[in-house]
Amino acid sequence: MARKEPRTLTMEIDHRTVTFPEGVTVHRAAELNGIDIPSLCSHKDLSPFGGCRLCMVEIEGMRGYPLSCSTVAEEGMKVLTDTATLRDLRREILKLILSEHPSSCLVCEEREACKDYQGTIRKAGVTTGCRFCPNDRQCELQDLVEKIGVTEIDFPIDYHGYDPEHDDPFYDRDYNVCILCGRCVRMCQEVRGTSVLAFTYRGPKAKIGPAFGRSHAEAGCEFCGACVDVCPTGALADKASKWEGKPDGSLVSTCPFCALGCQIELFHKNGRLTGARAFLDPEVNDGQLCVKGRFCMPEVTHHFERARRPMLQKGRYFREVSWEEALERAARELKDISPDDFVMLVSPDLSNESLFAAQKFARQCIGTNNIDSTARMELAGALELWSRLFSLPISIKDIARADTILAVGLDSRFNFSVVGTKVRKALASGAKLVTIDSRDSNLARYTDDWLAPHPGKEGAVLRIFAEALAGRKVDIRAAAEVGIDAEQLERSLAVMASGHELVVIIGPRVFHYSDGYASGDALVTLAGTQKTNIIPLYFGANSRGALELGVFSEVGPGGAETGQEGSGWAEVLSHSKRPKVLYCIGDVAFRERPDCDFLIFQDIYLPPFSVDVFLPAASFAETGGTLINIEGRVQEVVQVESLPEGAVTGFMRPDWKILADITKSLGSQALDYSSAADVRKDIAAAIPGFPAEADRRPRKMKPLGRLPAATAGAGELEDGNFWLVAEPGGYRHRGIDIASKVGGLCELALEEGFRMHPRDIEMLGLLDGDNVRMTWEGGRMGATVGVKADPECPRGAICFTKRLILGGVKVSPELRPLLGLRQNPIRVRIVRAEG
Amino acid sequence: MPHILRNGPEWYAASGTETSKGTKTFSLVGKVRRTGLIEVPMGITLREVVFDIGGGTLKPFKAVQTGGPSGGCLSEEFLDTPIDYEHLAEAGSIMGSGGLIVIDADTCIVDTAKYFLGFTQKESCGKCVPCRVGTRHMVKLLEKICDGRGELADLDKLEKLGRTIKNSSLCGLGATAPNPALTSLKYFRSEFIAHVKDRRCPAVVCKNLVNYRVIPGKCTGCQRCVSVCPTGAITGPRSEPHNLDRTKCIKCRSCYEICRFDAIAGDAIVIES
Repeated sequence: MARKEPRTLTMEIDHRTVTFPEGVTVHRAAELNGIDIPSLCSHKDLSPFGGCRLCMVEIEGMRGYPLSCSTVAEEGMKVLTDTATLRDLRREILKLILSEHPSSCLVCEEREACKDYQGTIRKAGVTTGCRFCPNDRQCELQDLVEKIGVTEIDFPIDYHGYDPEHDDPFYDRDYNVCILCGRCVRMCQEVRGTSVLAFTYRGPKAKIGPAFGRSHAEAGCEFCGACVDVCPTGALADKASKWEGKPDGSLVSTCPFCALGCQIELFHKNGRLTGARAFLDPEVNDGQLCVKGRFCMPEVTHHFERARRPMLQKGRYFREVSWEEALERAARELKDISPDDFVMLVSPDLSNESLFAAQKFARQCIGTNNIDSTARMELAGALELWSRLFSLPISIKDIARADTILAVGLDSRFNFSVVGTKVRKALASGAKLVTIDSRDSNLARYTDDWLAPHPGKEGAVLRIFAEALAGRKVDIRAAAEVGIDAEQLERSLAVMASGHELVVIIGPRVFHYSDGYASGDALVTLAGTQKTNIIPLYFGANSRGALELGVFSEVGPGGAETGQEGSGWAEVLSHSKRPKVLYCIGDVAFRERPDCDFLIFQDIYLPPFSVDVFLPAASFAETGGTLINIEGRVQEVVQVESLPEGAVTGFMRPDWKILADITKSLGSQALDYSSAADVRKDIAAAIPGFPAEADRRPRKMKPLGRLPAATAGAGELEDGNFWLVAEPGGYRHRGIDIASKVGGLCELALEEGFRMHPRDIEMLGLLDGDNVRMTWEGGRMGATVGVKADPECPRGAICFTKRLILGGVKVSPELRPLLGLRQNPIRVRIVRAEG
Repeated sequence: MPHILRNGPEWYAASGTETSKGTKTFSLVGKVRRTGLIEVPMGITLREVVFDIGGGTLKPFKAVQTGGPSGGCLSEEFLDTPIDYEHLAEAGSIMGSGGLIVIDADTCIVDTAKYFLGFTQKESCGKCVPCRVGTRHMVKLLEKICDGRGELADLDKLEKLGRTIKNSSLCGLGATAPNPALTSLKYFRSEFIAHVKDRRCPAVVCKNLVNYRVIPGKCTGCQRCVSVCPTGAITGPRSEPHNLDRTKCIKCRSCYEICRFDAIAGDAIVIES
């Protein structure tokens, strides 16, 4: 929809004639003309609040002192922003705020000396002044005090005396310093759409928090950190970077934790990464983030278990060695190796440069096609299917513009929460939402049209929708087969058909069912018949990069088909082939040491099993690189840390560089790279049309040609009383699940264990936490597991999160058979466990 | 309403003043002989309402508080003010919902201001800084003054704070909450100064500033007060002047009232400041 450009009007501010676009507030009009009217509660992304009263101005013809933040600027207005009365009023109001806000430091005579010598240290648990506040020198209140000029607070000081709140993960809350500006409440309500925070109580006892005294986690907080970003004081502060102090600077980068590729602002101090904030990028994330990108970066980069030196298995000991020694040992094994005895596994979280270098290493240096990646499992169904999905015009930005949204199998509370926020934004503008999910999701409560089929049947319903929207006749009775009311289905179909701008968002779970291929196929057909924005979500930040750069035996750079077979994950997991050398770059989909003679492992953390050579890789903050997001945008991950190698920093090197060094040691010129730019040049040469720089334009992939054999549908109805549903999940990043490194994610631990609906647990005569005996394949396979009550779980199902990446995760041996199941969901028999 | 419909708007407009037409209902309460709901034409003077309709006060008249907790206390000099929107606003008060509280010499004006401000403070929604924080400071200042800990500078602080709150509050509650305090300061400044400089409450109400005393010459020992004293501060046998123990006295006024109205002596107990 084309929007009319607003007219330009004129007014007078402080006797100066200025212009402004129609419709803005006086405050914004002044800001656009370089006049800064003080305010604390107003924010350009939020609706006006009018609580702090600092932005008062004098407007000719209006009595009293109207607020500039909530008065619309009009043609010919005459505004004064800085009269003596206004200055006086602002000073008084600021003094009132300070009388409640621990801030004696601002007016103490010793403050200059204290900054350097901290002569007035207090050991109180509550902040008693700016010097001990996490926001010191980054505080809007502090800045205003200096600007407006308050030198003494002549009201009696009376702090609230609240206990600081440390119970929820990721950020602390100290409401003693809260000035009740309401920005966090408005951000959560208006921009995020989750409304977790509200004003509780009233008057002088007013306090911010979730309603009814619930904890943030209980209230549905997504821990996106948007509230922390807008808080003008230190009331809300990141736990991880709270006491780092004011950062030295920041750089805009791309978040490396998932395929959305949100733009993020990384802060650094003394050369180290300290924290992250959302960057207001209108293309992808529009100023929003999820818990991973917002809070987990520092801990993932700096965890004490970070492996920083090359290591070698020397006899009985696994020791730290120099790069020369490690590289020499690796080269010794690889020299003269028969190409078929080598297998390479690469993580889909690696940068484009590293992925390209890896496949070139395997193909040109070693001469083999035995290269694979867990991207193959993340792009569930078939690689060829996903190449077709990636040939569609996928747009995250346009979700907010849609007028009808179909969300299938998606819970966006922690993973992909930016997508969820955009859905809510569209709903706020009047869009209609239909969800198809056997389990309750965080989006289901925003719609009347939540279709809940039997567990595992979301794909079947999606296919019905795809057929209907493509204009084909649909047999409504098919609804009953999957457990949906026919009338409800018809209604929802009508809702979807009534839209003009459609978006279909499919969560990863749907592709991981046995009928995932058929679902993906239906989506492509739908895209072919109707202009629809289709967003197929998957894990693995650069899985699309893995596909486009060709790190699979049958797919080469640019999606070119090699026409050759090769060994990869299937062989490794089934132990059907034992390679001489296995070179694994951060792809840890096994719990124990894989079957091979010699294991070269390259990653940022050590794996949970023994390796022969460990090569420490630089993480995303320590080296630059590019990633391809779900829309095909090539985006840059920026290097934030460039501390010199040494005992403290370590000796990590970028993945592509390590490969280049090994190649040189083997006497080959195949990987002649001295910088990431060199690799990019090589990529552009190898793949025609690939952007030479990270230009962030959305792109479409050329689909692979070959059609694979159709996979079987969900298993024949075996005997059983429950469906066992494996849901993809976990928070993968290279070889680890970051929940093992980030305390906050462990605390959330919402998807742990085996989950059943409380009524089903009751029906079995059990209590939450009891054990059940689960058998399948006619009783030949079985496991005893403890079950957790989960009211979001569908009836008749037992669900568990099947993590792909197991670094840092402990899996009990009894559960191993579950990790290798072929069908999903499968029928199991569940009885109470004995004993 | 039925009358207006029957007789037409001109009939209604015939009473009242040029700018405030018609009649207004008021709630006349306080220290007047006759209290109740009244309907009077706009423009009638305060004197007529208080003394003619209300029957005047028993003790000397002090002030009329109009408009409830958002209004102001108007002193004797305003008794001839016509009651309409403009004149009341000019005087610093408001019409409000039509409350007229008559105050006599027995009511402490500082205490009244503190009472009203305490009410508006409790009712504050808490959204804007001036009302939420400012009125709390005003209440604290008034408590300080009533407690006998006030200083002369506090009076200026009250005025400045009151003006700030009036000018910058978000809604009418904040904008008018300081009115009782500001008008009392303006028209009864001497009472405030007595509290602050002399530590004295002229209306002998503020507990920390008064003491109760039995006048031995007048007390007949009728024991009326002894039977109502909740703490046993007044003691003494029949027919002998009673003793009042100040350390036990909680200044509840029970003995004073009963002596005045029900005892033989009638004026044996005094409250002094």
